[in-house]
Amino acid sequence: MMKPHRRKRLGVILFVAFGLSVAVMLTLFALSQNINMFYTPTEVANGEVETGTMFRIGGMVKDGSVEQQQESLAVSFVTTDFVHDVPIEYEGILPDLFREGQGIVAEGRLDTLGVFQASRVLAKHDENYMSPEVRAALEQAGVNPDNHQFGATPED
Amino acid sequence: MSGRWQWFHRLGSPKWFYEKTTRWLPWLVGAMALFLAVGIVWALLFLPPDYQQGHTSRILVVHVAVAGTSLSFFPLMAVAGTVTLVWRIKLADMVAKNAAPLGAWFTFLTLATGSIWGSVSWGTWWEWTDSRLVSMLFQLFLLLGVISLRTAIENAETAARACALLSIVGCINVVIIKYSVDWWNTLHQPSSPISMEVGSPNGPEFWVATAVMIVAVYLFLAVSLILTTRNEILQREDKAQWVRELVAQAR
Repeated sequence: MMKPHRRKRLGVILFVAFGLSVAVMLTLFALSQNINMFYTPTEVANGEVETGTMFRIGGMVKDGSVEQQQESLAVSFVTTDFVHDVPIEYEGILPDLFREGQGIVAEGRLDTLGVFQASRVLAKHDENYMSPEVRAALEQAGVNPDNHQFGATPED
Repeated sequence: MSGRWQWFHRLGSPKWFYEKTTRWLPWLVGAMALFLAVGIVWALLFLPPDYQQGHTSRILVVHVAVAGTSLSFFPLMAVAGTVTLVWRIKLADMVAKNAAPLGAWFTFLTLATGSIWGSVSWGTWWEWTDSRLVSMLFQLFLLLGVISLRTAIENAETAARACALLSIVGCINVVIIKYSVDWWNTLHQPSSPISMEVGSPNGPEFWVATAVMIVAVYLFLAVSLILTTRNEILQREDKAQWVRELVAQAR
């Protein structure tokens, strides 16, 4: 058997560790909306963000929505979570991974027309890694291997 | 002392640890070298490029292995710390003391490799609003805190107990790091579900190299921790008969 004084010490440690864990977890969940990195297009459509405030929006670049200006770096596209869409305008260099069907996070403001004026666009990578051959084979088989991290799947 | 706990106290004997590890070390170092060589060659030469990232994905073999391993330091130090607090076994504290700087290096490497990968893939080196990134940085600060706490408190026993407590509390952050990508939305991708099927997303052609590297990095951790702990034993036990004999032999 463990000696009583040791059992008591172990008990105190477990009690303190448990109490602190609960306290930290409760705090984190209370702050959840602030810890989230971005709002989804649905949250923006629901009016959770005040017009004019700086925030980040995360979604997929909608297929066929990217329009690149010929003479400048200006680009416009639509970001979607497959429930709501938000149009984005941006002028600057896009990350290498930026393309249609890609997850992105953009930082900027909503203008009065409901267009998100982005000052920064980041590409999000999903949790799927595959070789170009595998990806081509999946596409041929009619499977969309792209990430569905922003809500519903496009097929829905 | 009752018989049932005797093995536990023998395990905590510095002399026993020193003698056992003298025999284990060559095997551990050999296995580490083997796994490291296979992992690095595989990652650099045989890993297929990713359809989006191209060759950048090779960094992830190292990043995932180092990141996963860096999460084991606080649990390790917490177990050692609990043994220190409850049973007052000296060896546990020697392990904990040497784990902290190692953990800081592993955490730093995780942040550095991740940053390099992110600068290419995401288009940014660092995002203060990403909870995975920030909680990992917090782990680095916590580990630096544990290291400075030990030097700040003069009494060795008090320092050991304070560090033990901080290590136990620090485990909460490990849970936060692990689940940050699931609980909140982040730029950092969630962990990948591995697939057993060759030719499918996250198939063996991608994760086997990482698995080999994870074993290699854990072996590296074990070897480094054993080596530094052995030094610690020689320093702290320099009055012991067996250490004196060992030093006399070496001369």
